[in-house]
Amino acid sequence: MSLDLQKILESKRALRRKLAALPIGEKLRMLDALRERELAIRGRALLSDSSVLHEEPAPYRNKSVT
Amino acid sequence: MAIKEVIQAINQMQADGMIERYALGGAVGATFYLEPAATLDVDIFAGFKSDPGSLIVNPQPIFDYLKARGCAMEGEYVVIGGWPVQFLPPGTPLVEEALKESVNKEVDGTQVWVFTAEHLAAIALQTGRAKDKARLLQFIEASALDAARFQSILARHKLLDAWRKFAGQFLTDNP
Repeated sequence: MSLDLQKILESKRALRRKLAALPIGEKLRMLDALRERELAIRGRALLSDSSVLHEEPAPYRNKSVT
Repeated sequence: MAIKEVIQAINQMQADGMIERYALGGAVGATFYLEPAATLDVDIFAGFKSDPGSLIVNPQPIFDYLKARGCAMEGEYVVIGGWPVQFLPPGTPLVEEALKESVNKEVDGTQVWVFTAEHLAAIALQTGRAKDKARLLQFIEASALDAARFQSILARHKLLDAWRKFAGQFLTDNP
């Protein structure tokens, strides 16, 4: 363990590269687990609470959807 | 809860003729090129069939199809395999091109269509929210983009000014 910021940043980059290189099936299973964890932390009620500051969905410009 | 169930359901929808070409976009699409990043939903871009004689796209038959197979609706989302899934028509020329040029990948023996890394990055630039910019930076830091292909997409879709602004903000020491 080191408190050298450059080493810390490099180890983070190395971890991201390692994760990116995993087989896609494994990465998608990680997304499943990440979502379950995020829901557990946030709580489902929070997601639908309009008084909570949250990010808007992507404006994909659904020009022709009724 | 499994994204693979979503992929299998979409493939079945395509086989049943409910949708035409489709591709994964958003954070799930980006996971095919980058490290996994937490997301709460799945974006499926799809060519919908319009009603005979109408130019208006109607997604209702898709919702009816999925409801008949036990999927719940949550607002604009259909819940498949525990995941909220949003079906999005290609609403811009960039997304139309991304869908047309999407690539076939395999997940544990299941085929799936995904936007190319360059199109995902260009869409992130065009969409422009904070998390889209963060994703674009991820693509760049991971060297996941073919620079020539990315630049040609930006030029074709008039995104070069947005790119210069982004690069000035995030890719130089003196913004």
